[in-house]
Amino acid sequence: MTDSARSTSDAAPAPGAEEDFAARARRVSKVYGSGDARVIALDGVTVGIPRGRFTAVMGPSGSGKSTLMHCMAGLDAVTEGEVFIGDTELTALRDKQLTRLRRDKIGFVFQAFNLVPTLTALENITLPMDIAGRRPDPEWLDRVVDTVGLRSRLGHRPAELSGGQQQRVACARALASRPEIIFADEPTGNLDSRSGAEVLAFLRDSVREMGQTIVMVTHDPSAAAYADQVLFLTDGQIVDTMAQPTAERVLERMKGFELPGVTAR
Amino acid sequence: MSAVPMARVTLRNLAAHKIRLVLTAVAVILGVAFVAGTLVFTDTMNRKFDDLFDRIGENVAVDVRASRVVDSGDEGAPRPPLPQSVLALVRSVPGVKDPVGSVDGYAALVGRNGKVVGAGQNGPPQLGTNWSDDGVARLVSGRAPAAAGEVVVDRASAKKAGYAVGDQVTVLVKAGPRRATLVGTADIGDMMGATIVAFDTPTAQSLLLRPGYFSEIRMGSTGPDEATLRDRVARVLPSGTEAVTGAKLRDENKSAVASFMGFFRTFLLVFALISIFVGAFIIFNTFSMLVAQRTRELALLRAIGAARSQVTRAVIGEAVAVGFVGSTLGLGAGVGLAALLQSTTGGGGGLTFTATPVLWSYTVGIVVTVVSAYFPARRAAKVPPVAAMRDDVAMPQRSMRIRLAAGSLLTLVGAALITLGLFGHVSNAVVPVGVGAFAVFLGVALLAPVISRPVVRVLGWPFARLLRTPGRLARQNALRNPRRTAATASALMIGLALITAVNVLGSSMRSSVEAQVDKQFGADYVVEPTGAGGLAPELVARVKATGGVKDAGAMYSGSAKISGKRVRYTSGDTAEMLSGTRARLVSGSGALGRDGMLVDEATARKDSLSVGSAVPLLFPDGRTETLHVRGVYAKNQFLGGRVVAQGAYLAHTPDPAVDVIIVTADRADAATKAAIERTLSARPDVKVQDQSALKADARKQVDGFVTFLTILLIMSVVIAAVGVVNTLALSVIERTREIGLLRAIGISRRQLRRMIRAESVVIAVFGALLGIGIGVAFGAALQHALRDKGLSELSVPVGTLAGYLVVAAVIGVLAALWPAWRAGRMDVLKAISTE
Repeated sequence: MTDSARSTSDAAPAPGAEEDFAARARRVSKVYGSGDARVIALDGVTVGIPRGRFTAVMGPSGSGKSTLMHCMAGLDAVTEGEVFIGDTELTALRDKQLTRLRRDKIGFVFQAFNLVPTLTALENITLPMDIAGRRPDPEWLDRVVDTVGLRSRLGHRPAELSGGQQQRVACARALASRPEIIFADEPTGNLDSRSGAEVLAFLRDSVREMGQTIVMVTHDPSAAAYADQVLFLTDGQIVDTMAQPTAERVLERMKGFELPGVTAR
Repeated sequence: MSAVPMARVTLRNLAAHKIRLVLTAVAVILGVAFVAGTLVFTDTMNRKFDDLFDRIGENVAVDVRASRVVDSGDEGAPRPPLPQSVLALVRSVPGVKDPVGSVDGYAALVGRNGKVVGAGQNGPPQLGTNWSDDGVARLVSGRAPAAAGEVVVDRASAKKAGYAVGDQVTVLVKAGPRRATLVGTADIGDMMGATIVAFDTPTAQSLLLRPGYFSEIRMGSTGPDEATLRDRVARVLPSGTEAVTGAKLRDENKSAVASFMGFFRTFLLVFALISIFVGAFIIFNTFSMLVAQRTRELALLRAIGAARSQVTRAVIGEAVAVGFVGSTLGLGAGVGLAALLQSTTGGGGGLTFTATPVLWSYTVGIVVTVVSAYFPARRAAKVPPVAAMRDDVAMPQRSMRIRLAAGSLLTLVGAALITLGLFGHVSNAVVPVGVGAFAVFLGVALLAPVISRPVVRVLGWPFARLLRTPGRLARQNALRNPRRTAATASALMIGLALITAVNVLGSSMRSSVEAQVDKQFGADYVVEPTGAGGLAPELVARVKATGGVKDAGAMYSGSAKISGKRVRYTSGDTAEMLSGTRARLVSGSGALGRDGMLVDEATARKDSLSVGSAVPLLFPDGRTETLHVRGVYAKNQFLGGRVVAQGAYLAHTPDPAVDVIIVTADRADAATKAAIERTLSARPDVKVQDQSALKADARKQVDGFVTFLTILLIMSVVIAAVGVVNTLALSVIERTREIGLLRAIGISRRQLRRMIRAESVVIAVFGALLGIGIGVAFGAALQHALRDKGLSELSVPVGTLAGYLVVAAVIGVLAALWPAWRAGRMDVLKAISTE
């Protein structure tokens, strides 16, 4: 699987290449501020997220990994370049179309505050479909709920669930509408290691068993080890990829970034 | 930690959250504006009247007038006239300078358009007088009236009527219309809309009073002080007349106006108080939300060593600042309001400023804000320092059970006080009823969170059905914090409860009056004056002579003393009166002769009278005559408690003025009415009314009353609407992350706006339902208390009340506009990463 993400900042894959990407970024730059306060968060990133895989994005803080995710998910506008979800070009969309795209094609899992406090676990899971006025596929919903393992807690409000359970409900919500792609932003950042492992295993299983595409931003090597491949980001550029990662190899690679002279900072 | 850093925290907080500050201050501004506006306006009116009376009484050292035998109890009622011979007596008294006899009465000017100038049921008076060069009135054009058929009119009225010097004008006096030449116009200063028509003295006497008589005689002094001169003058006066000093005369005039203005001021201040009470709810709610939102910050302050009292003080300090800013702006707005009122009442001139409005504005504004913020501040102090370290801090919630108990107790005590005030024969019922109403409002507000759960669930149901997910979320949001929903709704409840009560009362009044007219109005027509003058008795004969009229009879009203107590009675053509009012005789007969009288059952019971009883009456002319009870009738709104024989009444009343002419027609059709109106065509100050016109008249009066009170209460509804805006705006800020999440997972802006709008409508309609419920109860209680005083029917205006529910829903939609817009504009990315 070494070839599943040919991603460097200078060699752009031709659009519609032989590989099947759920999302692509082409020469995407993101610049905040201007003049002296000008910060280049992304510097001409070109990347494809292969369909049906679990991709982790790693990098030291300030490397632009969250920005990349926000841009690819249509939460933030890019300064330059193009972003595709499936065949849809995001930069051309207006807010209304972006909203619909997020609703129908993208799932989100955030680090914290993932659930609407007034709704029960089940209501939270079906929320995106309810908003869209679509009926959830009951079989699929059943399967998701069973995979999450929260059947007995479905009627509870978020405040009555543990942090791990809340995150699993968030994952279930992301899965339930069968989006093209799920973006997870440090989904285990607020969890203890046991709950974190549960959530990660769940995300991995949903890729293996249901064919879901997931992109996860993390700074935790052991979380990245659950992924099929890892993209390393530094200074707004993708500097490396790693297939079949293990926590040790990822940690080893990360250490390299933190050596003076290797990173630009 | 000293006070300085805490003060800095307070000030920084205010500066950082200007919108919040403004939203809170709006409630203060509106309430204070009402108070300040009332005070400045009434101060201004008081001063204008004072100036007027000072001007009129400027050179008067002593005033001679007839004494009142029967105090009419109505300051406006004229005293008996004074014979002209008194003038000669007074002139001979040493020290008396330029004594002038004045004649005052009713004279209305008919404008070019055929309508009476300045007419109106409760409008400014239409005064007739004799022209005198006493320096009060100053001719601005033409000359003084010198003969019959010449008049001078005040400049403002002449302009309004469209007349210039030399024009032929029509003047209405009690006896009817008179044509005259306008020979001059005069400047009498600011008369606040009153019209003045001046005749030469003999004409004034014959038209307005009685030939050879004056209303009063005023004189200056050549040297002696007022009291000395008064005593000298008093010595030469015949019995039945009195002399008072100019100072006393001016004070009498002023105190009559001052007591009215005082009542008016208190009346307006009650409504201002209601607005402020509503504002207090808003302030309380806003501060509660601010404290909840700042939990982490407050915990941090506590963690680094701030004492509880310092945290409390920081919040109270914020309240003082908000109160101060609100009071300042409110005072400004109040002055503007007073200026507006002043210009609509047609008065010119500047406003009168005293220290009182300023003092009250700041006191009320700051005290109300601080008191309302006190409980939130106490709560702020209870935030545990550890909350700074934790992510999700739940403020300690007090049990609903205490609330339930306190709310029920307050409601019951309030209801008991109202019952006591209405039915308990208390000397001043206003106080217990008012305090009781406040207690009920507070009690229900305390209970509202408990009530809100089921009610909001039901109210939210249609939204959940129609708007699906956004509707469901809206309902959940309204249910999420029942205290907040309840406090917001309660503010709206108060205004709507009072408006509803007024409407129930008004509607009951309408039905009661209509029922009365149906039951007790037996005549075909009544002829009534629209002005204050009354009608000359000669008019009765002319109406009677009109084609199609079967009979017409006069009805008078008057006062007398019976065993030292002043009573009012009616008199006139007894047969017409009895049939015209469908009076039912319980005993005796309606034939009164020269010295008979009738009493109603209540009076008979109270004074132990029956047919044959002899009653001595002291009449206003100072003579006593014993009348005999000839009959007793059942309670009748039109006749009142006593009917005196026409002969006796006329014998003691030198210048009788007919109140109403009761008309029975051969055929009560349009032709007859038109014929009567033709007979009266020269009298635009008289109207002919049939049963339906009487009802329409009554309806119009009640409607006017309801509208007036509703307008005064609208301010409190506006403040409550600001409260809804406040709550929603702060909720939106509070739920930034949640809204960001919803947006991220695909809720559209429109769905978000719908969600906030639905929440707003649910809160507003909940408040309206509470208010209308309480209002109907209040209105029904008041009606029940007044059912013996003419408010016999209870009528709940269901349509109007349903309309108010719709209005509340619209208020909800409007209040949500801005918060919804803000929520929709929120940057999704920022929202989900907000701490």
